[in-house]
Amino acid sequence: MIELPLLFLIPSIIAAVLVGFVCSTMGTFVVRLNLSSIGYAMSHAAFAGAAFGLMITIDSTITALFFAFGTALIIGPLAEKARLQSNIIIGFLFSIMIALAFIFLNYVPGEAAKGSALRILWGSLFSVDYNDLLLLLFLSFLILAFVFVFYKELLSVMFNRKLAESSGVNTRLFFFAVLFFTGFAVSLSLKLVGGLLVFALIINPTSSAYQFFYDFKKIMIFSPIIGIISCLVGFYLSLLTDFPIGASIVIVSAIFFAIAIIVSPKRKKGNGKRNILKNQI
Amino acid sequence: MLQDIIDLRRIETIYEGEKIPVIYDINLKIKSGEFVAIIGPNGAGKTTLLETINGLLDYISGEGFVFRKEIKKNKSQIRKEIGYLIQNFEIDPLAPFLCKDIVMSGRTGKIGTFRFTTKKDWDKIWYSMGLVGMIDFANRPIGKLSGGEFQKILIARALAQQPRLLLLDEPFSNLDYASKIQIETLLNRIHEKYKITIVMVSHDLNFVPVGCNRIIVMDKGRIIMDDKKEKILHSNKINDIFKNGGRK
Ligand SMILES: Nc1ncnc2c1ncn2[C@@H]1O[C@H](COP(=O)(O)OP(=O)(O)OP(=O)(O)O)[C@@H](O)[C@H]1O
Ligand SMILES: [Mg+2]
Repeated sequence: MIELPLLFLIPSIIAAVLVGFVCSTMGTFVVRLNLSSIGYAMSHAAFAGAAFGLMITIDSTITALFFAFGTALIIGPLAEKARLQSNIIIGFLFSIMIALAFIFLNYVPGEAAKGSALRILWGSLFSVDYNDLLLLLFLSFLILAFVFVFYKELLSVMFNRKLAESSGVNTRLFFFAVLFFTGFAVSLSLKLVGGLLVFALIINPTSSAYQFFYDFKKIMIFSPIIGIISCLVGFYLSLLTDFPIGASIVIVSAIFFAIAIIVSPKRKKGNGKRNILKNQI
Repeated sequence: MLQDIIDLRRIETIYEGEKIPVIYDINLKIKSGEFVAIIGPNGAGKTTLLETINGLLDYISGEGFVFRKEIKKNKSQIRKEIGYLIQNFEIDPLAPFLCKDIVMSGRTGKIGTFRFTTKKDWDKIWYSMGLVGMIDFANRPIGKLSGGEFQKILIARALAQQPRLLLLDEPFSNLDYASKIQIETLLNRIHEKYKITIVMVSHDLNFVPVGCNRIIVMDKGRIIMDDKKEKILHSNKINDIFKNGGRK
């Protein structure tokens, strides 16, 4: 275990909490809208973007954002109209983005920078700087406001797009808002969790929350809670064991998910009646 | 004189990526307060017609007005006043929504952007769940309902919107006899009491609600008959289209 003064850790701890919050909140929408594949593509685009930033030595968060939004803009409309099957999106874009990232990383100038190049692969405790923290804070507020103000629209769209559309909701707007925020979230989480693993933080906590509740509101509350706890526990584990932080956060969230599957009331047979009652409360 | 709530002129609607319009030469006027049934065999274009009316599908020629507003230009505005019941809706059993939230979601457009669901809105939501007799199901997960129960929740969803126009695609599908009677009575009642205009698609000639006085017959993408209920039910042509007299 590395001995560090707590004060020194505080920015990273805050970052971990915020990363957990933004990723797993967006996860609830990504999972429900079946956007996993495009989200997956976006997170690897962000990774390639960050690598590009390191190569041309500008802030990797900015280039990550550009790549993620670019991906959303290009494949968003295709995915929306179901013109592209999601496994094609994954297979094609995932490989291209990873290939690009490796090429960019190869050309990162300077020996010292090579270290930071590796960090965007699997994340690092101390790579989050003050600007990243501010951006994360800003995004968290944005997402909170988005969910709070548009809760009824989001619920409507999550249930069924066509029905939502038919009662006067502009579902296109929400589809792209979700993509946009997801791209934003993965780009900002990259430095902490790492480009290869960040998407797990979108999917795992939400999937755990889905195992327990039938009430969308509860999923909206518990998914970020599980996400934040995963990040904090992962953080601690990383300090304790010297695991890369991204890896340990993802392992923790995966363990939560496994536990959720095992104890899930939704998956138990035989006591279905009781579960319905439980869900009524 | 009563206002035309729906006014379609020489409408043609085509699905994206297709070459031939699915419905064509549609001329249709429906006045405020009418209760109309659209019947026709599978693939006649009934669903397409309904979705052209609420703008889910764009027509490629002709003109269409709902509430005297051009459909294409005022989609979200007119949809707030239209309750729509989708045909054969499938729901995943693990869907994380409670029935009351689904009914509430019908009111989303009506309540409006940047507004929150108030106590008054919830009153309407509970009221419409009461109308279909589904209050007890309010806190049940939506995926755990039977087909008929789910159908009633979707009807409540359309009603919660307090629409001026109801578009119902096969409202009686999945319902047992008692529930059919119940929903039929309900439709008659809200039609009388609130003067809602109802356009309903049905397969079953034997199940045209009493309050409905006009029947539109569609076949192969066109309206081939449009008349008073009695006339249609007693015409010979109907028997040709529905070879077995409308029974499935
Ligand atoms: N998404 C689509 N893309 C292309 N063609 C479609 C699409 N949906 C329907 N069609 C075609 O349009 C025609 C009319 O379909 P529609 O759903 O309006 O029929 P319907 O009268 O509602 O039939 P049913 O009684 O089976 O519900 C059908 O021939 C169908 O093949
Ligand atoms: Mg149909």
